[in-house]
Amino acid sequence: MGSSMRSGQCCSNVAVLVLVLIGLSGCGAETKVTRVDEGVVTDLSGRWNDTDSRMVAETMVKEALEYPWLNNFSQSKRRQPVVVVGTVMNNSHEHISVQTFVTDLERELTNSQKVTFVAAKNERDEVRTERKEQAMYAREDTQKSPGKEIGADYMMKGTIATILDEADGTKAMFYQIDLQMVDLESNAKVWYGQKKIKKVIEKKRTVF
Amino acid sequence: VSRPTDHASARWGVCVSGQISTAFILILLLAGCGPSNRYILVDDKILASDYQQADAVIQKAEDEYGSKSRVLYGMDRGMTLQLAGEYQQSNAVLEQAEEEIDRLYTRHIRTESFAFVTNDNSLPFEGEPYEQIMINVLKALNYASLNQWQDALVEARRIDHHLNVLADRTKDKTAYRDDGFARYLSGILYESAGDVNNAFIAYRKAYETFEAMRSWSRTGVPVQLRADLLRTTDALHLTQEFREYQQLFPETAWKSIHELQELAQVLVISYNGRAPRKEDQFLDLPISLDALQLVLINQGFSQATRQQHRAADSVLYGLNGRVVRVALPKLVSQKTQVPVDTVTLSPEQGAPVTVRTELAQDVTALADKALSERMAGIATKAVARAAFKFSLAEGATRGAEHAVGGEYGPWVGLAVGLLTKGFAVASEESDKRSWRTLPDEIHLARTWVSPGIYRLQRAAASGGAVSNKTISVRAGETAIVIQRVIQ
Repeated sequence: MGSSMRSGQCCSNVAVLVLVLIGLSGCGAETKVTRVDEGVVTDLSGRWNDTDSRMVAETMVKEALEYPWLNNFSQSKRRQPVVVVGTVMNNSHEHISVQTFVTDLERELTNSQKVTFVAAKNERDEVRTERKEQAMYAREDTQKSPGKEIGADYMMKGTIATILDEADGTKAMFYQIDLQMVDLESNAKVWYGQKKIKKVIEKKRTVF
Repeated sequence: VSRPTDHASARWGVCVSGQISTAFILILLLAGCGPSNRYILVDDKILASDYQQADAVIQKAEDEYGSKSRVLYGMDRGMTLQLAGEYQQSNAVLEQAEEEIDRLYTRHIRTESFAFVTNDNSLPFEGEPYEQIMINVLKALNYASLNQWQDALVEARRIDHHLNVLADRTKDKTAYRDDGFARYLSGILYESAGDVNNAFIAYRKAYETFEAMRSWSRTGVPVQLRADLLRTTDALHLTQEFREYQQLFPETAWKSIHELQELAQVLVISYNGRAPRKEDQFLDLPISLDALQLVLINQGFSQATRQQHRAADSVLYGLNGRVVRVALPKLVSQKTQVPVDTVTLSPEQGAPVTVRTELAQDVTALADKALSERMAGIATKAVARAAFKFSLAEGATRGAEHAVGGEYGPWVGLAVGLLTKGFAVASEESDKRSWRTLPDEIHLARTWVSPGIYRLQRAAASGGAVSNKTISVRAGETAIVIQRVIQ
């Protein structure tokens, strides 16, 4: 009788414990927003992010400006080289915003005051349409005439590629960014830059 | 003279009748949680080719999916949005689903514990491996339809990565560890984007996978894939491989890449039929002779409509207290009536081109395989859960009976028994969630035509013309045509 009562109490305690656990499991997460400086590294998922884009652009531009192609051109032509951005191919496992990366590159190179950028192929159409409309609708002394575009000396093009390895919740992501400056007259590659990033992303299998 | 016993008995009397009422209500509520009829509505809208409305049905049911089925919501909507031609939105929801699956790699003990005392529907849905691959397949088709080939190739690389991880994880060589259709589609995307080398690698893997899975996938090697292998090995000057494929497929007609250069490609993807659904299969295990009689009598009365009798079963078995219920999922296939499609491409001038689609993926076979591979684990867990719930209910019943004692002890015990054992029976439900907006079969046709504008006319093998669509293609371009055939 006594032992059956004890076993009954024990089972009741287990039932209470289970109910408490169920109750606890209902506790939800809340959203918290914190403003941070744009330079703060925020590696959340391990994927390509703004920090990667900015750091790679800064490093590669710095490297590009240190190589002799720039001085060689400036000395021989007595002006800054004119560069147009070609295609930066995304050969990775992620949907990377290549345009953001290209903009980072353009900004760094333009701010260096050592090269001049001209509008890329997809941007030129809009500018040309504007000129055509000016010819029709703008005051004559403010119209911009056609045929005065600056032809680029070099085209910058490249690829973003990844090698991904994964096992048991651990991912090793290797990014390789290749950029090259191609002489538009001779097709000679005057500069070849490369930047590599390796990230290891570990995920726990179980948490409470 | 005060009579505390009377007061206590009156209090217990009220309490007992209150508990019994609560028990009944709770059990009825739990047992009443039936499957939604949203898929019937979606199928109706798809049958009427009203894809926007089909998507609206899913969107309206977002709350009904709940936080545990975010992935399923993304999957279902990803498909309806694709059919509605909203490729960017489709990609957005599918991307969210993929990210959620990634996040669900980490299991939460509290969630697992809760599921153990209730049922597997309390677990977050992450989909079967073939469903996860289908996310990337759909995204790849969306990007290709948007003419964003670089992004389509990102999906092809993800398919390759996910399948490689799956193959590493799955030791059983006969299990689903690769995907012939996903590999084949990757190859088509690579070739369309001009990467013949990667296209050949994907085609070869697709061929090997179709062959390896043939025994259970109910899908043979597509005839078109044979031609693709011959064309790419020829283009890459892989003489040895080319000769081997020539010997393997002597009857296959093919054209060289040089011959196709000035032509435009049309890729027809046809989603036929409806993916299988899951039903509960209840096993009522009696643990006494009385209970055996009760189960036999009850099943004799209500065998045909077990789903509708869940509430009655829960009360009946809860009162008896000696029946343990185990629920297992059962697959119900919804086979397509269209074995092959004929698509006619009529140019503005000239003779029309007719192509026949061929089976590239049997989704029902994949679902069947996935469930059979997991069934042993599901059954073990279900039996353990049922035993745990029964012992917990038994403990609570006895505990309450002894705690009250006296003449009202048995009444309280009965109320608690009905509540806990009824709950154990009512809460027993298998996880019936699956990607239901997928088709039963995926068919594919690939052809090359002269550049121009074409009117597409689909005629099912069973009947006359069904749909009309116009496409415009230039030399070297690929047009993706996605069609849905619900029959």
